[in-house]
Amino acid sequence: MDDLVIGMAGSGGDGIVSAGESLIAAAAYEGYHAMMTKSFGSQVRGGESSCRVRLSTRRVHNPGSTLDVAVALNWEDFLRFGAELPVSGSTVVIYESRTGVAPDKIPLVGVAPKEVFAVPISDIAKQAAGTEKAKNTVVLGLIAGWFGIAREAILRGLRKKFIKKGEELVASNERAFTMGEQWAREHPLQTPRMMDKAASHAGKKMLIDGNDMCAAAAIFSGCQFFGGYPITPSTEIMQFFTREVWKYGGAVLQAEDEIAGVGAALGASIAGKKAMTATSGPGLSLKTEIMGLASIAELPLVIVDVQRGGPSTGLPTKPEQADLFAAAFSAHGDVLRPVLAPTSVADTFDITVEAFNLAEKYQTPVLILSDQEVAQRKETVDPIDTARFTVIDRKLPTEAELKDYHRFKLTEDHVSPISHPGMKGGNYQGAGIEHNESGNPTASGKMHATMNDKRFKKLKPLQRRRDLHRIEGNPSAPLALVAWGSVAGVAKEAFDRAVAEGLDVKLFVPLLVWPIAEEIYRDFFASVKGGIVAELSHQGQLYRMLRMYVDVPAGVTSFCRSGANPIQPLEVVAKLREASMALQTPPQIPSEE
Amino acid sequence: MDKTRKIDFATIGLRDALDLAVLIEEEAKERYEEFADSMEKHHTPAAAKFFRFMRGIEELHEAKLKGQRSELFGDARRVVTREMIYDIEAPETGEPRTHMTARAALEIALGAETKARAFFEQAIERVKDSSVGSLFEELRDEEIEHQELVRKMIAKLPPEDAGDIRDYEDPPVTL
Amino acid sequence: MKEPTVLPTYQAKDFKSELKPIWCPGCGDFGVLQAIYRALAAVGRAPHEIAFVSGIGCSSRIPGYTTAYGFNSVHGRALPIAQGIKLANPDLLVLVAGGDGDGFSIGGGHVPHAIRRNIDLTYIVMDNQIYGLTKGQLSPTSPKGLHTVTSDLGSLEEPVNPLLYTLAYGAGFVAQGTPADMAGLADIIEEAIRYPGFSLVNVQSPCVTFGEDDNQVKAHRAAMKPLSSIGHDPTNRIAAMDLAQQYGKALHTGVFFKNPSPPPTYDALVRERQRSLAEKAVPRERLLDMFVQK
Repeated sequence: MDDLVIGMAGSGGDGIVSAGESLIAAAAYEGYHAMMTKSFGSQVRGGESSCRVRLSTRRVHNPGSTLDVAVALNWEDFLRFGAELPVSGSTVVIYESRTGVAPDKIPLVGVAPKEVFAVPISDIAKQAAGTEKAKNTVVLGLIAGWFGIAREAILRGLRKKFIKKGEELVASNERAFTMGEQWAREHPLQTPRMMDKAASHAGKKMLIDGNDMCAAAAIFSGCQFFGGYPITPSTEIMQFFTREVWKYGGAVLQAEDEIAGVGAALGASIAGKKAMTATSGPGLSLKTEIMGLASIAELPLVIVDVQRGGPSTGLPTKPEQADLFAAAFSAHGDVLRPVLAPTSVADTFDITVEAFNLAEKYQTPVLILSDQEVAQRKETVDPIDTARFTVIDRKLPTEAELKDYHRFKLTEDHVSPISHPGMKGGNYQGAGIEHNESGNPTASGKMHATMNDKRFKKLKPLQRRRDLHRIEGNPSAPLALVAWGSVAGVAKEAFDRAVAEGLDVKLFVPLLVWPIAEEIYRDFFASVKGGIVAELSHQGQLYRMLRMYVDVPAGVTSFCRSGANPIQPLEVVAKLREASMALQTPPQIPSEE
Repeated sequence: MDKTRKIDFATIGLRDALDLAVLIEEEAKERYEEFADSMEKHHTPAAAKFFRFMRGIEELHEAKLKGQRSELFGDARRVVTREMIYDIEAPETGEPRTHMTARAALEIALGAETKARAFFEQAIERVKDSSVGSLFEELRDEEIEHQELVRKMIAKLPPEDAGDIRDYEDPPVTL
Repeated sequence: MKEPTVLPTYQAKDFKSELKPIWCPGCGDFGVLQAIYRALAAVGRAPHEIAFVSGIGCSSRIPGYTTAYGFNSVHGRALPIAQGIKLANPDLLVLVAGGDGDGFSIGGGHVPHAIRRNIDLTYIVMDNQIYGLTKGQLSPTSPKGLHTVTSDLGSLEEPVNPLLYTLAYGAGFVAQGTPADMAGLADIIEEAIRYPGFSLVNVQSPCVTFGEDDNQVKAHRAAMKPLSSIGHDPTNRIAAMDLAQQYGKALHTGVFFKNPSPPPTYDALVRERQRSLAEKAVPRERLLDMFVQK
């Protein structure tokens, strides 16, 4: 086997997420490509929890769909996750025998898995480690035993985790692991499913989630200030800053509210430092006014919105792609604010560096529209060659320009050199009020038009950035698949499958989701007659936006659904098949005469 | 309220006294200019015109005093600063009003001149240096002259009609 | 007169910009502006080393009339923006200004946090007990019973007491002034700027258009009661709170409270942390190494 998707659920006390963490760390160490997502009930502690780990010898683009292995520490908790942990007839089901459920009576509706094991997990733990609490270590042993995932790497991880508490704890967990492994060996699968060995680059891969990646990339870009307010699922970005940014002469302000967070970040930008804030939907609503201020005052600022289910509190721990309208349009007045969307943990690095570059280059707020899945899933990432990135800093006025400085000077590229306090001769009045070239307030309609024009025109080149749009497949294909954000990973797998099936399809993944790069879409759609725009929102927000700005071919439809209902690659393939069928011209029926 | 700070009139010499006088005129000149600008911005032309006129008068005095100073002391370093005085001959910032009449503007100036006269009278009592004493007397007399001048200007004004601008003007504007 | 050994580097006029105030003639803010020029001259920092942030309101226009780097931001958010500036560059002198609506209503939630954080900045509130820019509505400091366009039958609310409230939050420096005593106000602002930490100067700055005719600058001159004249000890927070209860009834001017042993400021602590951790920094491009599963 070269690809394995494991889903596990239990109560928080079962430590199923910890088991997942151990598993993915071992897999990463062994050189597998791996991904892990977690999902929880709403309790802070002691609620139901689940995780899904996908390992593969090849690069994977999403956390997988139907489970190859399902582990239930108790069935009630497992069932609460519904479509997040889908089981099929070929899923190997492992569950705690203490649940008292007979292997032929497992409570899954409409599926009859062939391989079902009721394992005395708690008993093994008690026997091996002297405590039932070591259940999760037994589960690791079972998985290693049945699927051949490197025992050495797992044991290494267990040692690392427990050694702080002493050798005895390490030894008892080693016993629990080994007994789990032993149990699996004594109860072999009808169809053995041992994982292939990973290509050997042990000890090279990173294991990281999107939020940490975003924060690390920000610091790489020279970001020296973070102002924000805790909000799920973005808080890890601030947490990373609080550990690291001081070392680089920077600072973090955990503000009293979302508005103060973005306000302080804007202040740091005024003072000449690269600055960012991060939030989720409710916070984005609150930050909107200051984002508008950054637009009119032409100040670089990076805002991260890690989307979750909305509106309002919505589904705080689940992904959705329904903030696109808010990201693009939530502003009063005429505002053009670039929005970039990462599609994976790995490209969160690229997107974040790009966001800072755009912010600095064009003196504008830039939004990174991430989502709960990209932000919180852990992923193996190959080392990033940072040498291929250029870090752009804002254009400062020259000595000569400081002699007669005009902060908002009209220039050929519509970008004016920007000074900051401390710079002699650069003194100016920044404001939310409309201003003339010097920065002084004005109520002139003519000046307002001129300045609006400047603020829009400076961003024009952005819409021609082909490198911010990923296009794959036969350029003249009649079928199109468009997806963005975390769904792009699902679309990529669906695209590969569809091409392998013989469908003539091409894939479009915008990393720049706003402004709509009209020309690039126009070129892409030129050959297109049908297809889908796949996204995780009730309205299909990208599809709607494309229809505002581009002549989307009539056969291209929206395939969308509300957040927390993951779109599966096979569904996308099926939709493409349908779209392809619709393109076939019906055979001409010869007339009888 | 003490309107002069760090100035000891008992020991002040002529050079410092002249410098002080220059600064007093300078302050008054600037204040009238600010008033005139503000009146123009707020479409109160008669008052603006008068404040502009007063600005000119203060400038003349400033120039005259500067000339005296330079004749007597050349460009010796000045040690008194603007921060040592405030509102001596300058009318107070809280005084003007939008759409004020010329008469009201003149009355502000009259008040300022009266205030300046009182200042010099008090100072004269404290100074010991006779040359400073006569300088301050001269300045006080000028204030008296100014008072007269302004009074005459007020007398020449046509009588004000009974209407109050506040009953007729547009309401303030929301910004 | 004794020759001063060092002549001041800056004079008040060095801080005056070419922009002409749009305030109504007679507005209290003119005097506040003069006092700020003076205080800045006395402090002696170059205009380009000063960041002056304001919110929205008549008084929030004030940074534009100075030669400092000004930022006339959005309603109520001057304090967070100013804190970001100071943390990004602690070498700057950071001033914040605004009206009572900006500071105690829409931005009121930021005040306690600016105080407890104790970032070194000076907040000058021009408190006129009315919303002037929007034409005379009730403000958070309007006295109970005041008739305004939004309290036609008289307001039913007690006003905020800015002095008592900031003292209670633990501010290290709380003072009040009036443009009627411009030089005194300049002294207070200078002292506030020199205080290492958050400082508040509440200025009773009357509104000439919407305020009462008998409560203008001239009336303040008669009504003001300097705290020094009543023997108040500014190191006594409890005494200060006692006096602060007279807000709205008496016009006390001067320093209500000044912490005699100011604690280290937040920005100083940030600096200290930056210094002590600097050597632990891996090169930025190696930051991701911590995630490699070795």
